[in-house]
Amino acid sequence: MKRALYITLNEVKLYLQDKGDLAFGLLLPIVTFALMYGAFGGQTLFEATAVIVNEDGGNYSTLFVEQLDEVEGIDVELLTATEADAKLERSDLLLALVIPAGFSETLASGNKAELVFKQRGNGGQEGQILASIARSVAEEMNQEFQVRDQVKSNLEGTGIPEDRIDVTVQQFLEEERGQPAVGVVEEVVGGSPDFISQFLPGIVTMYVLFALALSARTIVEERKRGTLERLLTTRLSANELFFGKFLASVAKGFVQTLILLGLSYAVFQLFTPLSFIASLIICLIFAAAAAALGLIIASIARSEDGSVWIAVVFTMVMVMMGGTFFQVSEGSILATVGKASISTYANDALRTVVAEGGSLGDTVWQLVVLAGICVVGLAISRLIFKVLPGSK
Amino acid sequence: MAEEFLVVKDLHKSFNEFKAVNGVSFSIEKGEIFGLLGPNGAGKTTTIRMLSTVLGADSGDATIGGHSIRRDAEAVRRIIGVCPQDLALYEDLSALDNMVFFGRMAGLNGDEARAQAMTNLELMGLEDRARGKVAKFSGGMKRRINLAIALMGNPQLLFLDEPTVGIDPQSRNHIYENILGLQKKGMTILYTTHYMEEADRLCQRVAIMDGGQIITLDTPYKLKSQIGSPEQVTMEDVFLKLTGRSLRD
Repeated sequence: MKRALYITLNEVKLYLQDKGDLAFGLLLPIVTFALMYGAFGGQTLFEATAVIVNEDGGNYSTLFVEQLDEVEGIDVELLTATEADAKLERSDLLLALVIPAGFSETLASGNKAELVFKQRGNGGQEGQILASIARSVAEEMNQEFQVRDQVKSNLEGTGIPEDRIDVTVQQFLEEERGQPAVGVVEEVVGGSPDFISQFLPGIVTMYVLFALALSARTIVEERKRGTLERLLTTRLSANELFFGKFLASVAKGFVQTLILLGLSYAVFQLFTPLSFIASLIICLIFAAAAAALGLIIASIARSEDGSVWIAVVFTMVMVMMGGTFFQVSEGSILATVGKASISTYANDALRTVVAEGGSLGDTVWQLVVLAGICVVGLAISRLIFKVLPGSK
Repeated sequence: MAEEFLVVKDLHKSFNEFKAVNGVSFSIEKGEIFGLLGPNGAGKTTTIRMLSTVLGADSGDATIGGHSIRRDAEAVRRIIGVCPQDLALYEDLSALDNMVFFGRMAGLNGDEARAQAMTNLELMGLEDRARGKVAKFSGGMKRRINLAIALMGNPQLLFLDEPTVGIDPQSRNHIYENILGLQKKGMTILYTTHYMEEADRLCQRVAIMDGGQIITLDTPYKLKSQIGSPEQVTMEDVFLKLTGRSLRD
């Protein structure tokens, strides 16, 4: 067993000396994470630009534009009616808010004013959200007018000047906005079913599978440099050689996941300490299964190119079948076919923990399958190595 | 009578229809340097691969230090060292790392492996380059490291498969001196080479193989005597007379 560990240690030393492998193994996960952070990092709030055609130009229309601009994530762009129409015509724009002429005057006279949503089709998803936000801003303005009218009508004949009533009502409404009667408290429970937590498992399992390509080369490289034959004339048994190579491959695959999960934990705060440990255990077992399959390829392949090609094709098939980049619907043909992919079990287990807030206990079935693949894979690779020429 | 350390009996090995080794028998005495000569494809390397337990024999057997290569390969591997024809090194690692690693594979613990590695590096004149990356070594230095690795674990029988191919006379001479030094310490050596003067200089006895069989086996002096005056005839003359002048690519 000691000699197996020396094989592992030697493999790790060689790995650290190979700049290409090292870059692939350690830097690529960091780069991937940086891209993920760039795409989904920070607060995932709605951000959009509201295109407004202000045909009114009065006090109240200006107030509406200012209030809309104050909404977090909304930028306001003012266009003329002609510009907006041209953009709508070219589908450069799906929705424009038009404040018709006379808007402020109508409101000042105590009558109801209207906003116009000029849109292509249903205005698009972003347009619909913008329209909804604009409606709530308009609704808030309506309520303010109603309060002001009500107060004025109640104080009619008391001799209090109208502008004083306006100022007092305005102060009251601002205080009310600062301390709303019905507030909203956000309470985070377990993992969040957002974009990152849905896709992170797929990215992690894909990295582990790519590590399989590295482990598939391991025996071929020894053969190529002549050290395999030399090792086979020492006291090292073929079982020790395989176990040593297996441990090294597991370590290589696991380090990549450790980087990705560690960064996700620290930056995206996707995990609780327990779910982080559970995810690491899942990745470790998956890396073991992938390494065992990599050793089967390593035992069969007789050239470096051959081993890498087999591993890459195998990896791509597993990734596609395993629902790495898309959710596979239950009961679909792909879901049935995907059961033949080891990625499916790893993705399911990781999604259970990361996205659904499940525990390791909820993933026992998947972990048993992965552990089984690992044991069978090791036995098959050893058998192939024994049967094919050039072994003990 | 000297103790026979390696005894080969009727060893056969075929690859499909090709008989690479066809009934080879010979023995090597303890402390002897025995040369196995032959043109390309004669079956020398296949014989060494079978004796070093890398390749299974189709039939026949050999014992090394009393252990059968077929029934007790593990015991055989404890007492042999192999210096293969092609360099078998981790070029990205240092000379010392290579040697310590193979020392551990030969059953040494960390301290023993390091101590023996330094001794062997010194023997090869490479102690100053112990921490240098093998990839940056010259061809001669790599050959010397290749040989030094084979000495890790103090084997009793050393297989040297063309250990001096492609190196300068200085490095070659250094290796000769080391081999003779090892013999003085009691090591038994099976040596293959294409350089006939090497065999003449180093080996007590030589066997010439061709077509998977041993076609002659004797001391270099007696072999030379068979075709002329030993002082005037070279081993190359003997070799060409016995194996012919046709090319063996």
